[in-house]
Amino acid sequence: MQALLSFENAPPFAAPLRFFITAPLFALLAGLLLLIDGPDLFASRWLPATLAATHLMTVGFMLQVMLGALIQILPVVAGANLAQPLRVAAVVHPCLSGGVLLLAAGFYFGQPLLLESGAGLLGLGVLVFLIVGGRALFAVPSTSPTIRGLKLAFFGLLTVAGLGVVLALAMARGWALPLPELTDLHAGLGLAGWAGVLLAAVAYVVVPMFQLTPGYPARPGWLFPLLIIGLLLLWSLAVLLAMPLLVRVAQAGLALAGLAFAGLTLRLQGRRRRARADATYRYWQLGLVASIFALCMLLTAALAPKLAELPGWPLFFGILLIAGGFLPFIIGMLYKIVPFLAWLHLQNQGQGKLPAPNMSRILPDLAMQRQMKAWLLAVVLLLAAVVFPDWLARPAGLALMLASGGLAFNLLAALRRYRQHGAVIREKLAA
Amino acid sequence: MTTIRSLMTDDHRHCDDLFAVAEEAMAENKISTAAAAFACFRQAMLAHFAAEEKTLFPTFEAKTGMSMGPTQVMRLEHTQMRTLLDDAAAALAAGNADDYLGVAETLVIMMQQHNMKEENILYPMCDQHLPGELPAVLERLNSDLALV
Repeated sequence: MQALLSFENAPPFAAPLRFFITAPLFALLAGLLLLIDGPDLFASRWLPATLAATHLMTVGFMLQVMLGALIQILPVVAGANLAQPLRVAAVVHPCLSGGVLLLAAGFYFGQPLLLESGAGLLGLGVLVFLIVGGRALFAVPSTSPTIRGLKLAFFGLLTVAGLGVVLALAMARGWALPLPELTDLHAGLGLAGWAGVLLAAVAYVVVPMFQLTPGYPARPGWLFPLLIIGLLLLWSLAVLLAMPLLVRVAQAGLALAGLAFAGLTLRLQGRRRRARADATYRYWQLGLVASIFALCMLLTAALAPKLAELPGWPLFFGILLIAGGFLPFIIGMLYKIVPFLAWLHLQNQGQGKLPAPNMSRILPDLAMQRQMKAWLLAVVLLLAAVVFPDWLARPAGLALMLASGGLAFNLLAALRRYRQHGAVIREKLAA
Repeated sequence: MTTIRSLMTDDHRHCDDLFAVAEEAMAENKISTAAAAFACFRQAMLAHFAAEEKTLFPTFEAKTGMSMGPTQVMRLEHTQMRTLLDDAAAALAAGNADDYLGVAETLVIMMQQHNMKEENILYPMCDQHLPGELPAVLERLNSDLALV
């Protein structure tokens, strides 16, 4: 109980920070891949380079930040104290970073051994995280929609990682599995069961906190994660029984649930009490609008599968949901979490005797706004490149590199200022 | 029925509203309006802290014997927020909008996560442990909050 009330139990800054700092580099790498391979990347979602780029974005960026952030927030929002957070980070982070590089290389070069070792390393990292995090989290009673949501998200992560390892082995060893159906399910488990449920659980806390909006209504808050997991179970069952119609029913349900959540969040943000439109708010607006379009596409495809056979449909959907939806939510949150943690740790270092610089001195809003414009440009170019790949694929790759590089630069600049201030505080305290 | 949780949570929202008014004025570059609004906000926050530190926490500690527990953590965070309130007031007095907004940002997150802990954990604990004292405590909290 006391743990929940105390930031003393928050892990050292280094534990989450290593995930945050390296994550943009994988998006940068995806941009580089696009710059090198150009229009070829947009020919089909099944191409080696496209699979590599997708995993660099989802595992290299999204999973990376999400696990780092969970190490930080599990004690604070759920009262779930991880045993030895720094050691957990020291094991999970290299597994994740090395694993996604091997996996991407395995896809790209068509090397079964790289695929297998990448999947194995990723599986190990996720498993270690789930065991340590799960032991802390499942010991806490589900007294809020957030805690329940986090638990269900852990379940989602277990299934997406498990199925991912199976798929990688199947590709490497040529097992006779229905790969397209299982790949769709893998994506659904990852994006809805893990990322979507986690996002909602966290949004219940941070949307009111960052923007002073009214809180999420309790009943839908409890129901949403359960509904998502239920629909994913239905989808899995439908794949198992080879019932394509049922798969579409589950997908339509997921699209509707996602639309309800995004619509509600948009409405809450419309009633926020803060006047300033800072980078986090803008990023969330972008993420919500892009997600709503993406989910409308998912709903359309479920109702009229012929439309989804249009060339470029799956890629457009994927870019809209991942680069336009999820990543902006995550970057927007990073822009609050990193400077706040820097302030908090400096504040603690100063022991109440020396002041800590405020958040905008660690990371100025202007730098964030500029990077956000670069990101918006990258999303627009990526989407347009699906339609005009010959002209726009390489510019889109360049824009993605620029926007990801800008994020890395901003986070590193914040880290540098944090260290400078820390050194000054130590000097003054010693004097 | 009024509980400690509902009374104090309402007061948190009241403080949030005052904060938002000040921030909005600042964003529109109306420095003097912002300064006046911020003064109201600061006063409300300090009254809230005082009500907790003088009335609620001692009563809770006396009843449960937990004096180094959650209330101690809350006091520590009050100290941190008082510093931020002072910093924000200094930035306003100096007419430094950037500094003010930066401190305000820090203060908001600090304040919201602090409120979240109180509303979800500490106040429910108070309601649970102080049923007999409830009418008297509520009356004193009400007057503490209204005094300033």
